[in-house]
Amino acid sequence: MKRAQWLGVAVVAIIVVAAGAYFMRKPPEPGGGTPAPQEAAKAVEHRGGTMRLVAVGAGGTIDPQINYTLQYWQLYQGLYDGLLNFKKGVGEEGFKVVPDLAEDMPQVADDGKTLIFKIRKGIKFSNGQDLTTKDVVASFQRIFKVSSPTAGGFYSGIVGADKCLAEPASCTLEGGVVADEAANTVTLHLTQPDAEIYYKLAVPHAVILPADSPAKDVGTTALPGTGAYMVESYDPNKQLKIVRNPHFKEWSKDAQPDGYPDVVVMDFGLTDEAEVTAVANDQADWAFDPPPADRLAEIGTKYKDQVHVTPLTAMWYAPMNVNIPPFNNEKARQAVSYAIDRAALVKLFGGDVLASPVCQILPPGFPGHVDYCPFTKNPEANKWSAPDMDKAKALMQESGQIGQPVTVISEDSAVSKSVGTYLQSVLNELGFKAELKPISSNIQFTYIQNTNNKVQISVTQWYQDYPAASDFLNILFGCDSFHEGSDSSVNIAGFCDKEIDAKMKEAMKVAVTDPKKADEMWAGIDRAVTDKAAAAILFTPKHVDFVSKRLGNFQFNPQFYFMVYQAWVQ
Amino acid sequence: MAASETSIAGNDPRQADPVGAKRRPAAGPWATAFRKLVHDKAAMAALLVFILIVIGCSFASYYASHVAHTFPFSSNLQGKIVIDGVEQQIIAPSTEGLGLGSTPIGPTWKLQGYFLGADDQGRDVFARMLYGGLNSLWIASASTVICLLFAAVLGVTAGFFGGVADAAISRIMDVIWAFPIFLLAISLSIVLINSSINIGPIVIRAGSLWLPIFIIGIVYVPYVARPIRGQVLSLKNSEFVLAAVGLGVPSHRILWKDILPNVATTLIVFVPLMMALNMVTESALSFLSIGVQPPDASWGTIIQDGQNLLYSRPMVALAPGIAIAVTVLTLNVFGDGVRDALDPRSKLRIGGD
Amino acid sequence: MLNTLIRRLIQMVFVMFGISVIVFLIFFATPGSDPSARIAGRNASPEVLAAVRKDFGFDRPLYVQYGLMMKKLLVTFDLTSFQNRGQKVIPQLVQATPVTLSLVIGGAILWVIGGIGVGLAAAATRGSVIDRGLMILGLIGISMPVFWLGSVMNLITQSRFHDTWMFSWVPALGYKPLLESPWEWFKTMLIPWISLAILYIGLYGRVLRASLIEANEEDYIRTARSKGLTETRIMLRHALRTSLITFVTLFGLDFGALVGGGALLTEVVFGLQGVGKLTYDSLKSLDLPVILASVIYASFFVVGANFVVDMAYAILDPRVRGR
Repeated sequence: MKRAQWLGVAVVAIIVVAAGAYFMRKPPEPGGGTPAPQEAAKAVEHRGGTMRLVAVGAGGTIDPQINYTLQYWQLYQGLYDGLLNFKKGVGEEGFKVVPDLAEDMPQVADDGKTLIFKIRKGIKFSNGQDLTTKDVVASFQRIFKVSSPTAGGFYSGIVGADKCLAEPASCTLEGGVVADEAANTVTLHLTQPDAEIYYKLAVPHAVILPADSPAKDVGTTALPGTGAYMVESYDPNKQLKIVRNPHFKEWSKDAQPDGYPDVVVMDFGLTDEAEVTAVANDQADWAFDPPPADRLAEIGTKYKDQVHVTPLTAMWYAPMNVNIPPFNNEKARQAVSYAIDRAALVKLFGGDVLASPVCQILPPGFPGHVDYCPFTKNPEANKWSAPDMDKAKALMQESGQIGQPVTVISEDSAVSKSVGTYLQSVLNELGFKAELKPISSNIQFTYIQNTNNKVQISVTQWYQDYPAASDFLNILFGCDSFHEGSDSSVNIAGFCDKEIDAKMKEAMKVAVTDPKKADEMWAGIDRAVTDKAAAAILFTPKHVDFVSKRLGNFQFNPQFYFMVYQAWVQ
Repeated sequence: MAASETSIAGNDPRQADPVGAKRRPAAGPWATAFRKLVHDKAAMAALLVFILIVIGCSFASYYASHVAHTFPFSSNLQGKIVIDGVEQQIIAPSTEGLGLGSTPIGPTWKLQGYFLGADDQGRDVFARMLYGGLNSLWIASASTVICLLFAAVLGVTAGFFGGVADAAISRIMDVIWAFPIFLLAISLSIVLINSSINIGPIVIRAGSLWLPIFIIGIVYVPYVARPIRGQVLSLKNSEFVLAAVGLGVPSHRILWKDILPNVATTLIVFVPLMMALNMVTESALSFLSIGVQPPDASWGTIIQDGQNLLYSRPMVALAPGIAIAVTVLTLNVFGDGVRDALDPRSKLRIGGD
Repeated sequence: MLNTLIRRLIQMVFVMFGISVIVFLIFFATPGSDPSARIAGRNASPEVLAAVRKDFGFDRPLYVQYGLMMKKLLVTFDLTSFQNRGQKVIPQLVQATPVTLSLVIGGAILWVIGGIGVGLAAAATRGSVIDRGLMILGLIGISMPVFWLGSVMNLITQSRFHDTWMFSWVPALGYKPLLESPWEWFKTMLIPWISLAILYIGLYGRVLRASLIEANEEDYIRTARSKGLTETRIMLRHALRTSLITFVTLFGLDFGALVGGGALLTEVVFGLQGVGKLTYDSLKSLDLPVILASVIYASFFVVGANFVVDMAYAILDPRVRGR
């Protein structure tokens, strides 16, 4: 008893001294690579403490196979593992897929239709159970049993998936996911080769859970995972508390590294304004939500050492419904795209540092992206420079749509509403009779998808699921994602061009064998879709992270953003 | 104890008041009231300020086009303005530190433009306030009238007749009061995007101001109706009414002579209060796109716009708030004057007060 | 008494039923309110969407859905949210209640004291500068949207002057349970109480002043005066009591509504996870189960408060009691 107490005091003393030593020094450059011996020292020095994150609201169900929010995908990184995972790196490195629960990248056979994964041995779930091939098979079945949002989109290429989609309850994926217990392998059979399958296996919907996980949405009761941390408690109205997984032993620094803080909590319920205040006053370490516009100047000056700005592979855009007037007229759509002053929108969003004007679909830095911009003054430069109002007005004349009524549907959030207000202003200038209807942010995204609502033009955003051109072009402008009368028809413009669609299918096929060539094809498709102006692409946003004074080792992963567990608080 | 005190003088003061009767001039009560009102300096000053506000708002478009040379309904994100010979951007991007964010121009205190600064779309806040004033006043006053009218009828009915009428009215009031009005607003704002509501000959489109007027008017009916009901209940049991009943005075006469005048004074007290509450409520509804539609403005919507600029340009939200307070204040002081002039009992104080 | 109580309870059920049906119908009449797509997630395929719709029973007739939802809410107590799936609604409400009670009771104490103080002071000094000043301040209080006022309070106490001696004591936003640490609880609640109370001090002060002035003209007050009682005594013992009728009615309405979740904007701006915040979040995300539960909860308090007010009439008004 006595000894234990002394030990405790000693540990506290060491931590205090270490923390003191740390604070005397200059904070290390974030994201900089450090040699190995130093790293070990760091691991001891900074290990421990409680990191307090804040968010306006909870992200919904904690079930990793159902949740589809960045908020929890970000936190899942330390909680769950798939067969593969995105590398825990910064910049381009972070887009690389590395083996996680699989020992190695899969052995590919049958022209890419068969993938054989060897499962790592000695990994335990946070409840102490060993990871086996059974868990892997069950987890793939569970994707369908719980009707994961991407079950139809990402995983329909697995043999037997069609049956599972039709009757989720009795899903077996027979012949699709086959375990060999003796060899400790799992074989995945696809109906056709898929260039993006590695990405699809690396997102949280494909994580491996214990085989006995319930075949329904677990809601607020977190499932055990294999990651370095586990969920201790979750109350969507209060707090999500994450602690270390006692059964975790690091097996791959790239896929699932050990983390620094002992405890990570995310508190819910502050407004975004209050979140900034809390971080500024060191009452919280990081805010999930972007800081409100009127605080940007303040945090950019007074707290500039605590702010990290990173470009995103995402876009703000205004889809125009190509099937109903006035935007069933291509010239009218082009006129809108010519007329929009993207520099003004950038200003609205927070200035040049926080966004850059674009007019093509693939964001800068994305596979297949080649600079292109027809809707500007001096289009030869392939960069947006200024709006071309004369051209826009001429196009409007030709289109014969002057005087047509148009309703812009935006979200009721401050930024979306002000983008909408600006669009309305431009549309009126063009000669439309424009109205703006901001509607509840929660409904807006499904509302604008449904053709029954006859939405003409709307303001929305798209963030990548994984770094593949098809995630923007095929999903947002492909015929397959247009479903009339459905709330889930993410091709909001209703754009379906048979020729372009065929090219996209082709590019996806080519990508399996020749990714370089596929990227070239995507660049062409990008130009073709952009020319049709089914959506006015507005700008590429950047992400602002505002962290507390004590938070160190901030690293930004392009796939899952700020790597929470790789930062330290002492 | 209380009962014994009240039982001493058990009749209507109006009937037992020879002083009031004697002083009543030949010209009639209205003329007296008017004369009294005109002599009430505070009331007249308030009326003057109120009229000035209305006139100012009526000249909004003249001000915008001829004085400030701006069109406050379209975004002006890239605009520039010359102040004291220096050219300034209306929305100035931050240049210090990391250069995050941009700030709209602050108050110039010059009527030639951006007197109160710009909002986040680079629009002239002062010009928008002038435009918005009439909308706000119209919505607030119309909804106040509707609210008080309904509240008076329902409150008096429930209190005076009691029984089934009281129970039914009270429960309907409860339903209205407990009803999540924002759900209705969210729903209506979406329903009205593609369709309109027909109530008889009236067609309500999404932009119609009648929508917020009715919603606001009805939301607060219980708030006024219930106190009135309480008051009527208490009056009904007061000695002078009981005496009148005992004398066989018909109930419609009691209602007209004894109950309504008392209710009217309570209603007048509520006028400025409801005006203020309604202007604020209107802003919440406008936020859900019920009512004043962007880019059109009301004081409430400008407060909403200013909410997003609170930390950088507090004036945008402050100015319309002050405008609401001042306007309501003038109505309030004027209302007091009217009440004093009309209230039969206050005649007693003509000499002393 | 028992009879009245039972009658009131029946009426309460009627109100709750009425509201829940209206809310339910409004929800399903709204285009885009169908929660299936939001539950299913971004870009869900038609098969997944259909599976979710079937799973949640959205393909069944409305009255069946209503019945099922009410059964889950009131009989089996296992209604769960659409937005945060798996989260039971009733425990959510139970957890949120103490927060709201802390806010509203504290605020109510402030505004009752403030309202009576302002009303008495203004009525006693009728027509003077003090009276006018108080009434002007009151109206300004009413003209400030509570969300705006709260934000300004935060701006001052949490940001601009947080480092000064005046506001360095203000703790981080959020709720601290009373039983855990009463002092912390008091400190976190003080600013929200003030923000909530300002509006009502203005309102009640004004209403009370008017009733007091009116009561002064009543015969029994004049009688009291003629008996030679002091003005203060008349004001406090006689005029005030009868004047409280309107005051108490308003208080009942406001208190009931606020405890029922009406303080939503105050709770949101101060990060208090109360019933109002719950209602606000559920309305924003159109989370029908939570909306229904909170509305029924609110109507309970609204009807209950009105009942108490009706009882109070008899105590307050000597004329009613005299009958």
